[in-house]
Amino acid sequence: MIEMRGVNKWFDDFHVLRDIDLRVAQGERVVICGPSGSGKSTLIRCINALEEHDEGEIVVDGITLDDDSRHLSAIRQEVGMVFQQFNLFPHLTVLENCTLGPMKARGLGRSDARALAMELLERVRIPEQADKYPAQLSGGQQQRVAIARSLCMRPRVMLFDEPTSALDPEMIKEVLDVMVDLAGSDMTMVCVTHEMGFARTVADMMYFMDDGQIVERAPPQQFFEAPASERTRTFLGQILSH
Amino acid sequence: MAQFLVLMGGFVWLVWRGVAEMDYRWQWYRVPRFFYKEVDGELIAGPLVDGLWVTLEIAAWGLVFTLLIGLVVALLRLSDSIAGKALATVYLEVVRNTPLLVQVSIFYFVLQPLLGFNNPLWAGIVCLSVFEGAFASEVIRAGITSVARGQWEASASVGLTRLQAYRYVILPQAVPLMLPPMAGILINLIKHSAILSFVAVFELTTEARNLVGDTFMSFEVWFVVGPMYLVLTITLSGVVAWLERRVHRGRSA
Amino acid sequence: MRSRRKRLTPLDFVIFAAVIAVVAYVGYRVESVLVYSWDWSAIPGYLFRHDADTGAIVPNLLVLGLLTTLRIAFWGMLLASAIGIVLGVARTSRRLFPRLVGWAYVGFIRNIPPVPFLFLFYFFISSQILPVIEIEAFVGGLSDGGTQVLELLFGPADLIVNFLSGVISLSMMMAAYIAEIVRAGIQSIARGQYEAGYSVGLSRLQTLRYVVLPQAVQRVIPPLAGQFITLIKDSSLVALISIQELSFMAMEIAISEQRFFEVWIFTGFMYFLVCYSLASVFNRLEKRAAAARR
Repeated sequence: MIEMRGVNKWFDDFHVLRDIDLRVAQGERVVICGPSGSGKSTLIRCINALEEHDEGEIVVDGITLDDDSRHLSAIRQEVGMVFQQFNLFPHLTVLENCTLGPMKARGLGRSDARALAMELLERVRIPEQADKYPAQLSGGQQQRVAIARSLCMRPRVMLFDEPTSALDPEMIKEVLDVMVDLAGSDMTMVCVTHEMGFARTVADMMYFMDDGQIVERAPPQQFFEAPASERTRTFLGQILSH
Repeated sequence: MAQFLVLMGGFVWLVWRGVAEMDYRWQWYRVPRFFYKEVDGELIAGPLVDGLWVTLEIAAWGLVFTLLIGLVVALLRLSDSIAGKALATVYLEVVRNTPLLVQVSIFYFVLQPLLGFNNPLWAGIVCLSVFEGAFASEVIRAGITSVARGQWEASASVGLTRLQAYRYVILPQAVPLMLPPMAGILINLIKHSAILSFVAVFELTTEARNLVGDTFMSFEVWFVVGPMYLVLTITLSGVVAWLERRVHRGRSA
Repeated sequence: MRSRRKRLTPLDFVIFAAVIAVVAYVGYRVESVLVYSWDWSAIPGYLFRHDADTGAIVPNLLVLGLLTTLRIAFWGMLLASAIGIVLGVARTSRRLFPRLVGWAYVGFIRNIPPVPFLFLFYFFISSQILPVIEIEAFVGGLSDGGTQVLELLFGPADLIVNFLSGVISLSMMMAAYIAEIVRAGIQSIARGQYEAGYSVGLSRLQTLRYVVLPQAVQRVIPPLAGQFITLIKDSSLVALISIQELSFMAMEIAISEQRFFEVWIFTGFMYFLVCYSLASVFNRLEKRAAAARR
């Protein structure tokens, strides 16, 4: 589904991504973790070209990500993304947030788009908020709307960029529940997150990144119980010790 | 408040005294004729009404062109076209670093004959728009860039094109932010239109200058024309403040 | 390997084509329709001239005008800042009276176009205020040395009333804008700074003096520098009330020599040179100051 081969990226002199190889199969759920500044956000933002990679190849669902803008928009329609800061459109209601993409990018009619949006808002368990504006919702609710908004595009892959790190602790669970739910429906998912409980439950494969490189790649069982790399061990020790 | 009224009163008295000492003969009774004349029972607009109308005309057309120029320049600056950015930068620097009076002169005395164009009013309107366009482009650009980067990313992630993102996501958020400074630009258009009196555009200030020349009633004329501008600009500010409140009310409802 | 940066887009070619088309059209108009022959050779003569009496090279009209413009800007800025600071502080006062005075002044001036304002004001100042302070008698009574100093600071002695009227009118106008800058600077200081000031036992005035103003000054200087450039540009307006600065000189030459194209383009270029270099210098100073603060 997603293939990255030899991807490199620089921010000026800073080498953010070093020789990244990553393969995600259809229906696979991948969790990427690592210390802040390790390049994990940049990595998943490269998958739908929010960041341009400088070297290497990225192929999503058979489409190569290159300078061709048709490829770019094709990939973006296949790939949904959930952001750390939600990025809901503040001037639109919850429902309008969800229908904008389907209507304008997919050309769906208004009533179809509404029906679709309501269906997905129900799936993230907030259909009753459909006519409110984002600012009137709690953080957890906003993030669930953001997930529904992405799902409205009927994506084949969902990317999550630290979806819970901007949330108050008591709201994290409601978002994770929705994500676990989604994992149960065979969605291909790539999540950058520090929620190790979530990772244990849903991940098929764990990646650990440090300093722009993928340091470790292992199934969760092995990853948590017997990490091969010293750096992974240190990192897990730091975030699991409490 | 009482102190303030006393001060204002004192100020008016001082002016009055000063004028009286000049042996100035007030002729307020002639002022109504500057506004209208009655010929054969029909009302005919006087010079000040004509001038006011031209000023409004300049402001209205000027606003249209200012917005157009401002939008194009702002988009050029935000584009990734090298020539576009260069052109926008040259335009902004030239407009910002030369006086409006010199720009008016160049439009009137240089560009008009060069481009084979002979219409002071339109040369004036275009010149003012080119001048205010620089400020408008700044306002538009600031409005657009103040919309968080995440909004662009979210638009891209739900499959919108760049144009669609502008149309449905960025501009609806940016325009309310631009409204108050744009009102300032409209008011500046009215204020700066007075400079066109320099090149024989018959707007309010020109008419006033001609009246002063004809009647030597400088004080009456300027004391009337000043407040006319004041009423115009203050009314506009009020309208915009009201508009802004309505926009905000719509949002938070 | 992909390289997306620094590439010409279709828009670039459209713009190149448009610019070339405009230049070509103007060239065609000048050459074939107007049959205008440019003559830039007279311009240096307007800048400097050869003085037959002394044999020296002395400034001519355009340079004299530019000097007057700069003098107006300099004195205008000083006077406008003085008035503007008082008004700006008044507008943030806790008492109603100063606030009202500041509000009325700023509102009045910012809503009336500069041109009618200048006409009214010039008429009033030159006929009312300056005669009262008997400036001409003062200038006439100066020694030679005194006159020289005066001419360096204020320009030709016989034009001093003309000059002062321009300066005063412009600064009365500019003061309203400076007042707004000062007010914004003071109000940009967070409430917490006052509270912190009071909490260590300072009075309101002391808090203003030692806590708020030092911070406000940093924020006010960049917009004030910008205002100085605006003042140079707006000083061209006093040409309309016959103050003999750069734009006035340009008008005179353009009309008497019938060289509108060259004179106006060159005058625009002179203003541009002054304003652009000042803006660059201010920019660099500001960057350096910002770096030093870090």
